[in-house]
Amino acid sequence: MIEAKGLSKRYGDLLAVDRVSFTLQRGEVVGFLGPNGAGKTTTMRMLTGFLPPTDGTALIDGHDMFQDPLRARRAVGYLPESPPLYPEMDVQGFLRYVAAIKGMPRGDRARAVERSLERCGLVQVRRRVIGTLSKGYRQRVGIAQAIVHDPPVLILDEPTVGLDPVQIREIRQLIKDLASARPGETQHTVILSTHILPEVEAICPRVMLIHRGRKVVDSPLAELTRGGQTLEEIFARETARDVAAAEEGDAA
Amino acid sequence: MKRVGTVASRELRSLFVSPVAYVVLTLFAVLGGFFFLSTVLSFNEYLIQLQQFQVFDELAKLNLNDHVIAPFLSTMSVVLLFLIPGVTMSLFAAEKANGTDELLLTSPLTMWDIVLGKFLAGAGFVAILVALVGVFPLLLFVYGDPEVGKTAAGLIGLLLVGITYVAIGAFASSVTRSQIIAFVLAFVILLVVWMLSFLADLGAAGGAVGSSGALGATLRWISSADHFENLVKGLVDTADLAYFGVMIGSFLLMTKAAVESVRWR
Repeated sequence: MIEAKGLSKRYGDLLAVDRVSFTLQRGEVVGFLGPNGAGKTTTMRMLTGFLPPTDGTALIDGHDMFQDPLRARRAVGYLPESPPLYPEMDVQGFLRYVAAIKGMPRGDRARAVERSLERCGLVQVRRRVIGTLSKGYRQRVGIAQAIVHDPPVLILDEPTVGLDPVQIREIRQLIKDLASARPGETQHTVILSTHILPEVEAICPRVMLIHRGRKVVDSPLAELTRGGQTLEEIFARETARDVAAAEEGDAA
Repeated sequence: MKRVGTVASRELRSLFVSPVAYVVLTLFAVLGGFFFLSTVLSFNEYLIQLQQFQVFDELAKLNLNDHVIAPFLSTMSVVLLFLIPGVTMSLFAAEKANGTDELLLTSPLTMWDIVLGKFLAGAGFVAILVALVGVFPLLLFVYGDPEVGKTAAGLIGLLLVGITYVAIGAFASSVTRSQIIAFVLAFVILLVVWMLSFLADLGAAGGAVGSSGALGATLRWISSADHFENLVKGLVDTADLAYFGVMIGSFLLMTKAAVESVRWR
């Protein structure tokens, strides 16, 4: 469903992302971890086609993001770090607009908007102007715009930031639902970046850890934690080890 | 380019949700009324003077088109210089400030869907502005008999000038994330484009620029003033129409390049 092939991004002298490759199957949910500045957001921006990679490419649902961008982008729902919202629009008007620019046929849009309002718990605020909503609701509208056109691939950059514990639980449940196979509904593949390690433990069967632009861990969660280590210990170890290795390399 | 209309209609609706559209419409209508009244009154005064002094050959040359409608529309084109940047400042800058550029650029839209959609929204707004002040010359048809063709050419001229200013304002908005910078930049570019013909005149008088005739002619060609004046005089020349096409086209191309540039940075 998602295939990253040697994605690299260079900003001047800084190599932000260094040959990251991976393949995700339909229905997989991957927790994308890494310290701040590790290259998570840059990688996600390349997968969504917002940034072109310096090298490498990505296939989304079989379409090359940079050879056939319109088809590939259609297959992606994307929640950036700060939800992309027009403060002056009302919730359902905004979702209708997103459905239209994502290329949904006119006849399907109303139903798609209803479904995404329901799934994200936005039915009561559908007519509210986005600028007057609380942070939690705005975040939910951000998720609703990512799923409104029912894309097979979802890329969520810190989807639970700013939510209260109850909302966090709801959103986690929603993400699980989106990835599970249910008759008549698209089974989504989800990449989710987060700093909250228990969140990964709660919803992501697979974990990817990126540090200094390089993928350092990519394995099923169950395997990682088999030895009795917590995810937190693994995170600390991997990010520290890489720094040590890099410093050794510099010294040599 | 199927989604141009979707982008354009969202943009236009957003303009009317914010106070900007209403402020601009109100100012334009009020200023239009003021300048129209003052033009009509001074025309009237001139008419009375000519009659008192019995300058009949001068009197015979007087007409509503050249002495009321043309100066009125010229004044309104200068007013557009100040107001259009207020309309266009948000076009791209606000997307960047809201983070919605990430939504637009990761949607299956082509760059032209986005640029043309926004440009057309601005052009649509200018059409409303021109319709608003078009009412004043129409009033003259009730009390006098101006020429229909000349009046129409003048209004089309005002529309074209306004739409050209929108293309320039869209470009200014596409290079920054601050709406204030977009406003100031648009205003400065518009002022320069408008004043180039005065510069050419100045140069011709002083001999510095005018002596190298080609430069003066080029400056004068780039300036919107002369092309607009021809239309207001009722001269519909394809050369002038081509001027507006070239200006709009080149600023839209630059806008597209500026929007695309986030991808190669």
